[in-house]
This record gives sequence, C-alpha cells and structure tokens, in this order.
Amino acid sequence: MPAVLGVDRVSKAFGERRVLSELSFAIDSGQVYGLVGPNGAGKTTLINIACSVVPPDAGTVTLNGRPVTADAHARVGVASQDVALYRDLTSEQNLEFFAALYKLNGARRARRVAACLGDVGLQDRAHTIISLLSGGMRRRLHIAVAMLHQPDLLILDEPTVGLDLESRHRIWNVVRTVAEDGGSVLVTTHQLEEAEALCHRIGILHQGHLVAEGSMAHLRRHVAAAELAIIDAEDLDAVRDRVSELGLTHRSALAALAVWLPERQSLDRVAALFGGIELRSVTLKPVGLEEVVAEMTQEGRPVRA
Amino acid sequence: MLALTVTRRILTELWHTRRSLIFWALFPALMLLLFGLIYAGDSSPADSFNYTAPGILIGAAFFFSCLGGPIAAIVAERERNTLKRLLLSPLSGTAYFLGLLLAFLVVAAGQTVVVYAIAFAFGGSFRGSLMLGMLVVVLSVASYVGLGFVFGSRFTKRTEEVNGPVAAIGVPLLVLGGTFFPSSVLPDYLYRIAHLNPIFHMNEAMDAVSAEGLGAGAIVDHLVFLVLFAGATLAFGVRSYRVMLQRERVL
Repeated sequence: MPAVLGVDRVSKAFGERRVLSELSFAIDSGQVYGLVGPNGAGKTTLINIACSVVPPDAGTVTLNGRPVTADAHARVGVASQDVALYRDLTSEQNLEFFAALYKLNGARRARRVAACLGDVGLQDRAHTIISLLSGGMRRRLHIAVAMLHQPDLLILDEPTVGLDLESRHRIWNVVRTVAEDGGSVLVTTHQLEEAEALCHRIGILHQGHLVAEGSMAHLRRHVAAAELAIIDAEDLDAVRDRVSELGLTHRSALAALAVWLPERQSLDRVAALFGGIELRSVTLKPVGLEEVVAEMTQEGRPVRA
Repeated sequence: MLALTVTRRILTELWHTRRSLIFWALFPALMLLLFGLIYAGDSSPADSFNYTAPGILIGAAFFFSCLGGPIAAIVAERERNTLKRLLLSPLSGTAYFLGLLLAFLVVAAGQTVVVYAIAFAFGGSFRGSLMLGMLVVVLSVASYVGLGFVFGSRFTKRTEEVNGPVAAIGVPLLVLGGTFFPSSVLPDYLYRIAHLNPIFHMNEAMDAVSAEGLGAGAIVDHLVFLVLFAGATLAFGVRSYRVMLQRERVL
C-alpha cells in the first residue's frame, strides 16, 4: 500500500537561496508526522509543495501513490499558520461556506459541519460570530475548516503557536482523534515538546536538509546517552573538568551543564561522581527531542542526514 | 453554483455588520433629497426629482457600494488570509467575480428601491420601460464591480488603500460622467472625452430611460459601450485575480 504522502528527493531554491535539499520521507495512514526546525528551515516551503501551491525544482511528491497536481485541494486539507476565517460570520456559517466550496451539499454538508464542530469541541459555539471567539477557539475552527472535506492528508502549520496550554491540549486531542480514525497528519512546529507528545514520527529539518527522521525511540539513538544529568554549580569549569576526567560527554544547558550518562544511575551515585565540587542542583531527565535536535543541528556538524 | 455560495456569504456578512448597508442607503437618500430640493428651487419638486434620481442612483448609490464594496471585499480576503484558503479550494476566479457581482446586484436593487421611493414621494416618476431600466442597472453594476475587481486585485493591498483609487480615479469619473450636473454643460473637448467614461454612459442611459421615457433605440450606443466595458473589466479583473493569487501563493 503506498504512503499517504510520499516525498522523494525534493529540492527547492528561491533564486540563489536553496531552501530544501533532497528531502525524502513518507507518512502512512493513521500517522502523525512532525516536522521540526527553526524558522526559515524550509517547513512551510515543504507544505506549499505538498499541496501543489509551489512546484519542486527536483524530486516528486505523491499522495496515495499519485503525483500531487493542481487538484491537490480535494485530497489535502491545510490549516496555515495564520487563522483564515470570516470574522463577521458565525462558526457554523464559516464551515457552511467552505463546505459548499468543496461541493459538499445537502445532508452531507450538514453532517460534516456538525461533525467538525464536534471534533474541535465548538458545537456550543456554532452560532457565535468569529470576532467573539477566543484565539484558541478560532484556531480550532481554522483546523476544522481544513478537515471538512475529509482529506487524505491534513497539514497543520504551527497549529498551536501563541496558544495557552489548555487550547494547545485541545488541538493535540483533535490531531490524535484524526489519526485514530485512520487519517494522516503532517504537523510543522518549533515547539519540540509538542512534536514529542503528538507525533509518531518526526523529521528534523535544518538548513533545508532532513538531518534526522524517525520515531522518537529511533531519534534518541542520535544521542549516545541513556539519561541526562543536568548539573548546576557555582564552578561549572570544575564540573566540566570532572566530566572530562570521567570520559563523559557534556553540553551546555542554559546556565547549567547537561552530562550524558551512558547508563541510568541513581541521583546519589551521579552526585557522588562530582564529590568535592559544590553543586547547586542535580536533575536527571530522559533524552528528549530537544537534545536530539541540539545534537543534529549543532554548528559544524555536516547537514546531511 | 459556487458563485451563489460566494454571493450568500457576502450578503450574510453585510447583513451581520449592517453598517455598510445603512450608509449605502443613507448616502444616496440624503444626496437625492439635497440635490432634488436644491434644483427644485421654488417650483414643484417633481421634475427636479425626476432628473436627479438617475444620476444619484448611478453616481452616489452604485458608485460607493458597487465600486468601493468589491475593492473592500477583495482587500478583506487578503487581510483575513482567506484568500489563501480560496486558493486551495476549487473556487475559480470567474465564479468569485460572479459571486461578487450577484451580491452587489442585490445591494443595488435595494438602493434603487430607496432612491426611487424618495423620488416618488416628491412626485417623481419612472417614465420609461422598467425592463430597460433594469438592464441599465445591471450593466452599470457589472461595470462598477468589474472595475472594483481590477482595483481590488491589482492596485489595493490594504484597507487603508481602498479610498485611494476610489477618490483619485472614481471621483473625477463621477464629475466627468455628469453625475452632479448635466453633461451638456461640459466644454466640447471634455464632452468628447466623457464618451470614454463608463459613468457617462450609465448616467446618459438611465436619464434617458427614467426621466425622458426613451426606448432602447435611443440608448443603444450607451448599452453597447457598457456591455463592452463590463466584459473587458471582467476579463481583466479575472486575470488580475489570477495574478494576485499567484503572488499570494506562499502560505
């Protein structure tokens, strides 16, 4: 069975600026795929290519095995970064309008509008004018519009940017529900905890290259540590020296030091490793996406995956 | 079918806000009252309102609703980011234009009722064929909406810029179109130039049908001009819309 979205050696440049370089990945049915990377990494360009708004310079993009063409709008639902709704219409009227554009008529339209309002938890706001909705509600409705025509692939570009925690979790639930129902979702985000919590597979985009890609378990292998010890001390240089003596790897972590532990250890044993140095705090944490991204995008590292 | 969807959306939005609808009714009503009473002087107002109503309908009513309205509608699409949504939908430029046109035809019909209700209240009348009058109204609205479509999709990017083309290009066209005074007072060379102005043809045709009671034969030149002008602005407008979508492609 072909992947819902297949991206194969896609490259794109705008003038002299190369935005994407030979990107390849696939999204299967029922999968949430996260694309992470800093602003300007090429995430939105990839979305534009996936929905046939911008053609790639090289490579191919397929939806369910068929090349993406100008009719991609029927097979892809996109919620762009900026909320796009008619402020003087109600939630229901917005959905009705876009449903009609997608040629959903009669009972089917009514069913889809009601279902999408329900999916994003806005059924009680169906008759509320958009300008009276909160930012989180607008964004949820914005996503509902993209889901109306039951696309093969739902693309969400920074879906939770600027939202409070509750609104973010509501949107995460919407995404999870779509995937549980067999839908496929491509999410771009630079909120790493979001990608980690939500996505089955994650691609790390850096300077137009997919520098790492796979499940979280797979990505963790890029960091050769079972666990991290975050150490804060008055004299961090002393800690650094001790880490070197122990043959361990370390990275800066804001005002502290992240030490890569090759195996899980108790807090007391870790603290004992730094005996004689006055430590302010020692915290143990599992290797997360943040460490993987830092590792894969660090300066001087070759950008090819 | 998609055009009707756009029409319904625009009319629903206008109905929800109502501000524009109120001003689009109030402005021509006040203008008609003022000009009708000023031109009447001490004599009976019936004749004055007969001759003032067509110009006010074309110049004060349709000008602001059917020219300014489409420009504002397109600019709002851009500012609300809905243009990008439309780009990713099956809606074509032609269907979008037709949707706008139908919506503003409904607005224009309402304005026509308001203007002629006032004219009738002061003893005025509609002397010619109602069907012919409706045809002039439809062609006038199509010309204005076509022009608005071009301005909105090509020359205006933000709400603050809407008034620019309306004032800089539209108002001189109004003056040269004989909206505020009969075109017979224009100097010969301006009168000849006025023939290139769609508003001149709208005014002349409406005046001939409504105030003079003339038939189609008397206004055929004006009708032909308006058909060609509306067709040209439609074609250019749809092209401009496509160009605008190309520019707005990046999400």
